[in-house]
Amino acid sequence: MVKKKAKSRKAPTKKRKNNPSKKKSGLLGLLFNQYLLSGLLVFTLSLIGYLFYLNTKVVDKMSGRIWSLPSHVYARPLELYQGKHLSVEQLKSELIQLEYSQVKNRPIKAGQFRILNNSHFELISRDFTFWDGRQKSQGIRLSIYNNKLSALHKLYSDESLALFRLEPVKVAGIYPATQQERQLIKLEEVPDDLVLALLAVEDRRFYTHWGLDPRSIMRAMLANVMAGGTVQGGSTLTQQLVKNLFLSPERTLTRKINEALMALLLELNYDKSVILETYINEVYLGQNGAQQIHGFELASQYYFATSLKKIRRDQMALLVGLVKGPSWYAPRRHKKRAIERRNQVLKLMLEQGALSQAQFNKYSHLDLGLASKPRLSSNRFPALIDLVKRQLKSDYDEDDLKSSGLKVFTSIDPLIQARAQASVKRVISQLESSNKKAENLQTSLIVASSQQGEIQAMVSDRQPSFPGFNRSLDAVRQIGSLIKPAIYLTALQQPQKYTLATPLDDTPLHIKTTREEVWSPQNYDKKFSGSILLHKALEKSRNVPTVRLGLDVGLSDISDTLHNLGVARNIPAYPSMTLGAFNLSPLDVANMYQTFAANGFNVPLKVIREVLNKDGRPLKRYPLKSHMAIDEKAIYLVNYALHQVTQSGTARSLAKSLSPLVAGKTGTTDDLRDSWFAGFSDDQLAVVWIGRDDNTSTGLTGSSGALRLWTDLFSQLNATGEVNSFSLQPPVGINNVWIDEESGALSEKNCSGAVELPFIQGSEPTEKAACKSAGIIEQIKRFFN
Amino acid sequence: MQISRNHRTDKTFFQLNLNVYLSVFFILVSSLLSGCTQPKLDAVNATNSVLPVADSRNLPEVIQSLIQQSDQQYLNKDLSGSLATLERAVRINPRYAEVWSRMAQIYLQQGKVEQAKQHAKRSNSVIKNNAQLKAFNDNIITPNSAEHLN
Repeated sequence: MVKKKAKSRKAPTKKRKNNPSKKKSGLLGLLFNQYLLSGLLVFTLSLIGYLFYLNTKVVDKMSGRIWSLPSHVYARPLELYQGKHLSVEQLKSELIQLEYSQVKNRPIKAGQFRILNNSHFELISRDFTFWDGRQKSQGIRLSIYNNKLSALHKLYSDESLALFRLEPVKVAGIYPATQQERQLIKLEEVPDDLVLALLAVEDRRFYTHWGLDPRSIMRAMLANVMAGGTVQGGSTLTQQLVKNLFLSPERTLTRKINEALMALLLELNYDKSVILETYINEVYLGQNGAQQIHGFELASQYYFATSLKKIRRDQMALLVGLVKGPSWYAPRRHKKRAIERRNQVLKLMLEQGALSQAQFNKYSHLDLGLASKPRLSSNRFPALIDLVKRQLKSDYDEDDLKSSGLKVFTSIDPLIQARAQASVKRVISQLESSNKKAENLQTSLIVASSQQGEIQAMVSDRQPSFPGFNRSLDAVRQIGSLIKPAIYLTALQQPQKYTLATPLDDTPLHIKTTREEVWSPQNYDKKFSGSILLHKALEKSRNVPTVRLGLDVGLSDISDTLHNLGVARNIPAYPSMTLGAFNLSPLDVANMYQTFAANGFNVPLKVIREVLNKDGRPLKRYPLKSHMAIDEKAIYLVNYALHQVTQSGTARSLAKSLSPLVAGKTGTTDDLRDSWFAGFSDDQLAVVWIGRDDNTSTGLTGSSGALRLWTDLFSQLNATGEVNSFSLQPPVGINNVWIDEESGALSEKNCSGAVELPFIQGSEPTEKAACKSAGIIEQIKRFFN
Repeated sequence: MQISRNHRTDKTFFQLNLNVYLSVFFILVSSLLSGCTQPKLDAVNATNSVLPVADSRNLPEVIQSLIQQSDQQYLNKDLSGSLATLERAVRINPRYAEVWSRMAQIYLQQGKVEQAKQHAKRSNSVIKNNAQLKAFNDNIITPNSAEHLN
């Protein structure tokens, strides 16, 4: 072999030719070495590449967690001034939501208030950075009489104030990058005992290991082998954090290796304190419906309805115990298991010296101390916060949002929202108990300031705090008669052709839709009146005259009117659209009726006012954008009729139940599937939809369902004087004329059947009706009207 | 004596400078007001001081205080802040034509002519017996009608 090898060395080429097998074995070694080397090289390079990849991933994810502070969403600030409608309870509720503390003696620190004689308030506000600058803490005193702010002064001074702006209530914290809601806590705010218990239970050598703890891995492996299954984990907090941040819960070898590598990288990149703080804010500690409970602060709110800073040590022990298995030890479902687990942790705390024996004895016999209702600030106004998130998402790119710590100022009014939520709960259960067919009802309610187009309150579920399907934005349903004002508006924009006194044909109508199909629209009462004046047809919501009018003015013109009113969706051009056989969301409807409420000025509805960056510098303002979308004279005529709807039309119950004047329209769809009401006072607009998620019959009309909810809400608002009568101020160019209610021809005040209607100048009827003197009773009735 | 003379000299010097500053400030403000954007508003500006709207003394105190604050922001060239303050006034009560009209003027200063016109229309829609303000708004809506004012 040696010889052969020597030969081969001498004449390698020849040998190779003569003896291929020999060549092979020699080459194999060489090649093997080469392959091994290059293999090793490739492996090392891939490993380095992979480590780089993992490192980028780790740093990316971590920086998204540690450096991105949550964005805060604020409600509207409460403006205090003389004459402001406000009850003592409302101001107190606002101050409590602002976490002011009520004191018995004079307030001396920012964030304190006292109430004297149930009508005088003294308070010291806190420093706050608004969009227009920093407002310093200030003491004020004010009086409230008959639900009205009657005097406003500086505290301990006679100097009166024209206006004072309270800082706004924080309604949510949004993690911008993930759009999740979190409650974060800084490490220095976490109680020492909790940290101690956590380390004692989960990772005793946290401050000494490099991300992995071989000793505890060995111990766990041993325990698992002895038990014949997985009973113990040897993961360090760093590994657990990695698992929470990046990986799926599956238990595979690859995952374990990745987890270990990433834990090492995490330790290389970050301080122990950063890792611990992130862990405390990230760890999974339970489930509330669809919402995962991450972090100790949120968990403390969820289980004990209080901040982590305020809980007892036995409660800390429970939270720490939950890390091992939040669903297995779920305190609300498995009380016994949870108590056992808590006591295990308490025992470890005793061993570590965090508890005395006496304290251990006391705590281990306590009940779990769970709150009856979980308090999750994220759940207070889920529909509104969803709207805020969507608006943020559509206006900011990912990088802007990652810049984090934004302060988002909104028009959310917690005082109106509270009443909207109460109305929804109350009326939905009333409707279900008083109407056999009405069950499993769902609803949407939107309240907006009609002149500025700012959304103040929104409820999208019969359980207002349930963060599910956002019906106000996403439930698109047929709108039924809510379309009608748009059709009458289209007609009244042609004053030479249509006025409120134009007689419309109310006789059977048959429309050929296809070769074989004929559509014969019906009135709600299945009757035909022969002829009806245009204003009456709208007030009484007559279907057949409306279809005729709609076809006469043209479907595309109606569609144009709808777009001018603020409806962004495409509107189908088939005849049944004149009865609202097309889908809109409650928000679309609110946009449409806002234009009526603001007398022809369209202001696209919005919820965000301003956004500040984390340094308190203005980032973006959403100014009031108003434009005259519809001729004010034509819209005045429709609004006149919409006011009549609430006096003598389909919503006439309002005339008795609500003293301020309002305007609005009911809507009902086929088989009573959807019940709608859209209505407005001078300042506020509200749209209500009631229906079922499976789109079956509710057994309710617009009047018997949605209107009742609307009335309930406005009655509550009116109780504190917040509803201003719809003023119906005629614009220049409107004349009031007496006409005969039968024929629509000119009449006189003293004639029987005469009614006074507004007309666009020049469009008044010229033909005179025969006048029969009105009887004394008719005249008295008119006088009182 | 020496000291006091020096003092006097300094004071005079300061006063001289102050006058120069004031003149420069005046020129700056008037050039801003004379509207680099809308020369047609000259007629309007000539009749007014800061923000040229009719008498606002009849407005409630709360609206007046916001108008004053908005004026101050306007003078500090914080047009956006000035608008935001007027929006606060609109939220408190949207029925004061003066407030909408001021907003229209600020939009005009910002060169946002369409927004200015829309707010002037909005002002007209809530106006009550105020011919001067109406003429002023009309001038924003249809700039050719500037003659109405003189």
